Amino acid sequence: MTNNICVFIETKDRSVRKASFELLSKGKEIAEQVSSQLYAILIGYNISSLTEELKPYAHTVVVVDNEALQEYRWDTYGDVLEKLFKQYTPYLVFGASTTTGKDLFPRLAARLKGYIISDAVGITLDGTQVKVKKPLFGGKILSWFAYTGDRTLFVTFRPNSFAVSKGSYQGEVRLEKIECSHDERMHIIGIDKGGSKKVDLQEADFIICGGRGMKGPEHFQVLEEIADIMHGRVGASRAVVDSKWREYDDQIGKSGKTVSPKLYIGCGVSGALHHTMGMDTSKTIVAINKDPNAPIFQYADYGIVDDIFTILPVLKEKLKQAKGEV
Amino acid sequence: MKILVFIKQVADSEARIIISADHKSLEIENKYTLNFFDEFAVEEAIRIKEKFKDSQITVCTFGAKRSIEALRTTIAMGADRAFLIDNTQYPSENPMVVATILARFAQQEGFDIILCGRQAMDDENAQLGSMIAELLSIPHISAIMKLEIIGDKKVRVENEIEGGRATIEVTLPALFTTQKGLNEPRVPLITGVMKAMKATIPVIDPLTLGLTKEELDSYAAMMHLFSYEPPPSRPPVKIIEGETPEEKVNKLIKILKEDAKVL
Repeated sequence: MTNNICVFIETKDRSVRKASFELLSKGKEIAEQVSSQLYAILIGYNISSLTEELKPYAHTVVVVDNEALQEYRWDTYGDVLEKLFKQYTPYLVFGASTTTGKDLFPRLAARLKGYIISDAVGITLDGTQVKVKKPLFGGKILSWFAYTGDRTLFVTFRPNSFAVSKGSYQGEVRLEKIECSHDERMHIIGIDKGGSKKVDLQEADFIICGGRGMKGPEHFQVLEEIADIMHGRVGASRAVVDSKWREYDDQIGKSGKTVSPKLYIGCGVSGALHHTMGMDTSKTIVAINKDPNAPIFQYADYGIVDDIFTILPVLKEKLKQAKGEV
Repeated sequence: MKILVFIKQVADSEARIIISADHKSLEIENKYTLNFFDEFAVEEAIRIKEKFKDSQITVCTFGAKRSIEALRTTIAMGADRAFLIDNTQYPSENPMVVATILARFAQQEGFDIILCGRQAMDDENAQLGSMIAELLSIPHISAIMKLEIIGDKKVRVENEIEGGRATIEVTLPALFTTQKGLNEPRVPLITGVMKAMKATIPVIDPLTLGLTKEELDSYAAMMHLFSYEPPPSRPPVKIIEGETPEEKVNKLIKILKEDAKVL
């Protein structure tokens, strides 16, 4: 066992996801503390061009480029990672707590007889002890776990847990030729990534979320326009999704996605507990609601008590101006 | 068709949770419920049985004695039988320990399909499904939103993947984790509740499943809880006043730029 750190890189539309740069930035901080090697693990098909942007973020960018890795599957990706981790014997493996990360890492940890903590939001080194911070009970409690094992520790982190620092390495690129096998019992018949929204909800820096106060699906257009201006995403409360005004993919909260953008704006969102559990780690929360007693104001940093339909058009124009000035 | 459903009883989201003075333990108000995502697993099992009458639905959990209430809920919904693997002697929350115990139970019972919720609401780990599948050397599909049995030992599912949906055909036996949207879980009928109240739910000691304490301890020893703390509290909301919408929005933008520095 080394004390090295491997970061599993996720890609989307032929670029490295922001969440992966966050993990590399945190990985660097820890690698410097214990003078260990930091590896960026990039696997997929036709991905070699992405190594340039990764080089400043790791001592070594390990690349496995194989046609069988075009689409993510736990069997093929798991097989390649198993072989890589047996070769590099990292002490820490970081991944993102995304749909892919949740599917892949527990199975891999079980296979390698390692240990896994998922959905974490922080990590520190305390002497030789690794301490991992993880919210429990929908964020009502923060827990710190101390790891003392002598096997690989896998940690998946929520996107937006760490800031992206400027890369300062001149990483070496290492191409690994690894054959991968797939599970014959599983056949992918089709993949639909239609309507591929610009930013992943969990990764978005900016989220404007509509609640029941939006009164109908047609009124989400202005939220879409604001999200576009801010390069962010539209979210929705459970009531909105249950009324079929928006897709389930947009749902924020206990039974939907957990998000922590830099700026969250809730529009006509009452702030029921099952919703706030999914967004209360956002850096700055703004609530716009005509009911001054709406519970969302207990979670918000800033509030506007007014009719959303008079505020939103103005907000759109002013945000456009603000973005234009930068 | 032999269907196994793994469930967890979790604290209700409204339950009060108090951190002990030494920050080492939690006191949870006695309000527990069947995990939200597990309801879809139980419902799907019942729907399979409605089509394939000779199916048997077995529900199992590794948990405290109180978990028997969640098991009764599943029988009230329509599950055939339920087992509690009692964690009193071995109160580990360690996912590898729990996965090892449940996988061993599955091996003893036999199964064609295993269903469980995509994650528990309390720890949000989303680990057990794929871990159990790995320990049993069977395929798993995460976060399914549609399931159809298309032949002898063959299932077609739709599941959530990064940025979209996939359609996958799997040869059984296999494990599926269930996502919201798969079905509408039924509310138990009064006859079901009566049946559940009378049902005998066997209690199993995990160490009778052919596992040694040493085996389980080797995982449990790797990790320990360091402390619990409350989330950082937010200062009270600053309500932005103004005569007109323009004035309010202008003030908000200024604050977001200059104070919060998020624009």
